[in-house]
Amino acid sequence: MEAPKINDGTTKAGDWRTYQRVLLPPVRDLHQIEVYEQHGGYSALRAVLNDGKFDPQGLGAHVKESGLRGRGGAAFNTGMKWSFMPPVDPDVPRFLCCNGDESEPGTFKDRQLFEYNPHLVIEGMVLGNFAITAKACYIYIRGEYASWIDHFQRAVDEAYAKGYIGENILGSGFSTDIVVHKGAGAYICGEETSLMESLEGKRGYPRVKPPFPAQKGIWGRPTTINNVETLACVPLIVNHGAEWFSSMGAERHPGPLLYGIAGHINKPGVYEFPTGMLISDLIDEVCGGMRGGKKFKALVPGGSSTPVLTAEQCVGATMDSDSLREAGSMLGTAGMLVMDEDTDMVAFLRRITHFYHHESCGQCTPCREGTGWLEKLVTRIDEGEGNMRDLDLLLDLCDQIEGRTICALADAAAWPVRWTIRRFRHEFEAKCKPAVFAGADLQGDGASGQLVPVV
Amino acid sequence: MDSPSPKPLYVPGQVPERRFSDEELVWTAEEQQRIDGWVAQYPTSDGAVMKVLWLAQEKFAWLPAEVIKFVAETLGLPYAKVFGVATFYTQYYKQEMGTWVLDVCTCFACQLCGGYDMLHYLEDQLGITKGETTEDGMFSIQEVECLGACGSAPMLQVTNGPYIHNLTAAKCDTLLAGLRAGKVPAFESVTLPQDEDDLGGNRRSDAEAVEAYQTPPVSETIE
Repeated sequence: MEAPKINDGTTKAGDWRTYQRVLLPPVRDLHQIEVYEQHGGYSALRAVLNDGKFDPQGLGAHVKESGLRGRGGAAFNTGMKWSFMPPVDPDVPRFLCCNGDESEPGTFKDRQLFEYNPHLVIEGMVLGNFAITAKACYIYIRGEYASWIDHFQRAVDEAYAKGYIGENILGSGFSTDIVVHKGAGAYICGEETSLMESLEGKRGYPRVKPPFPAQKGIWGRPTTINNVETLACVPLIVNHGAEWFSSMGAERHPGPLLYGIAGHINKPGVYEFPTGMLISDLIDEVCGGMRGGKKFKALVPGGSSTPVLTAEQCVGATMDSDSLREAGSMLGTAGMLVMDEDTDMVAFLRRITHFYHHESCGQCTPCREGTGWLEKLVTRIDEGEGNMRDLDLLLDLCDQIEGRTICALADAAAWPVRWTIRRFRHEFEAKCKPAVFAGADLQGDGASGQLVPVV
Repeated sequence: MDSPSPKPLYVPGQVPERRFSDEELVWTAEEQQRIDGWVAQYPTSDGAVMKVLWLAQEKFAWLPAEVIKFVAETLGLPYAKVFGVATFYTQYYKQEMGTWVLDVCTCFACQLCGGYDMLHYLEDQLGITKGETTEDGMFSIQEVECLGACGSAPMLQVTNGPYIHNLTAAKCDTLLAGLRAGKVPAFESVTLPQDEDDLGGNRRSDAEAVEAYQTPPVSETIE
């Protein structure tokens, strides 16, 4: 029996046209702590720490119940992730890491949170620390975001001054710290184990799992790593309740979501809507249609590593993990890249393979060498020097790379190559030299060829 | 697309030429205090190494071998370890750069919106190609990977600092003229399209707003 089709063209975001934003509400100067407090800021923290709304386990269970799934790409249930932490041992410090590396091409949502609503992130981090009884939260922000690191550090300083972070927070006896860590330009540090290595002041080489971070994380201590947007959702869940959260958006992937939309559209930028928005609604209505009235051709739904979708595949698909899996891709970070009919998919893929070759850390041979070969082959095809067999060689290379390395960067490098070739093979073939031998019968009339039998 | 690999800092058997003397390689009391604060943030002093390398780069403009050694000594770490960190991350300069480093993003979102046009325009204006520095030591151009500003593509970053969004040829000219006059670009706050109705487009009263979606298409063709 065939399972019922998910992508039937109905939006799962409910009445999104009247949606009231919660992650980036329309409040001027919300980045200032006074303004944030006036609009109900830090009330979730007070409710938990002062009024005893939740104990740590209760908060974790509530977040689990809400169905919040990680916004960094893997879409794992956040409450579940917290529950993997071992039982509290007073002699062993535990840590929370907030992953603000955000280097995935096409993703630029966390930057808006740092710029416009940093205190929501801070409140979420303190609540996260409380839920897993962490000694400190290290937030890793990519070095390129120098201006936003300054903004965020200022917000952290303000929160310290007001007693929302530090010793004995709000007189509850709970103490925790937040440390802002500045990266220095490495895509790989968005991978959780690599991020931990980088925090420890090493080269960002991913670690072999297991042991998982919950057992052995930074400095060998139990650690949980969450995305910026994930933690920003936690105070909202405490304030409004798990039912409110789980009733918003797609059933199995609920909550508000920041859609970073870029490319050939009229109004690119970060939009906040519930999950499960129809792709066609996002492009045609929210973003004001394609730039210059061109035809929509292809979409990368969630950052460069998610497989590219053709316009046909996007029909009826919504932005949540189940729907996009059926369509043939992944939600990833919801950093969408929209391409119009003039886009050259070979040149596009060439740039992606260049990115992965540049960013491969070089620890595992299949990735270090393989990404280089991917780039060389795609470049060769793009320059018109490629052969038809290069396409199969590329697909074979993807088979050789995928799943054979420590971290997922190699998979992320192979997927766009595999799926762009599968879905736009005709464009690649058009740039390749024809697969014929000298003297072939190109007219197909059986007479124009110069076939000489080899004896 | 291949950029030349940076020159090796050491050639075996050769002592590298020093760029900074021992007298220059000292922290001021205020800097030392900041370093002590960073060391206290981590269980071991290793954690602070990236922050101290950033400070060293701000102070000395780039990281020759003796500066890396100086950082290692400051934190009591082996030279090799700090050298390893400094060479892993792309934002630490391992060779001398221009006063202003223009990191032009050409990753796929910027590529589709004309990032290469901007890169080539800047290259033409300055008479250098990416990876090079102008003769007067004023500008360097680098082609960089995604800087996380895809909604306001094409864009660039000035010396690991401010972002310049929605580049056009005219905006590049203004930028170059401003930098020649020694003016550091101000922080630009990119408007959220959804704020247009509610807040008139600008939600931060302390920064200049930039409307991302008013940029006309820069490029008709895509490289």
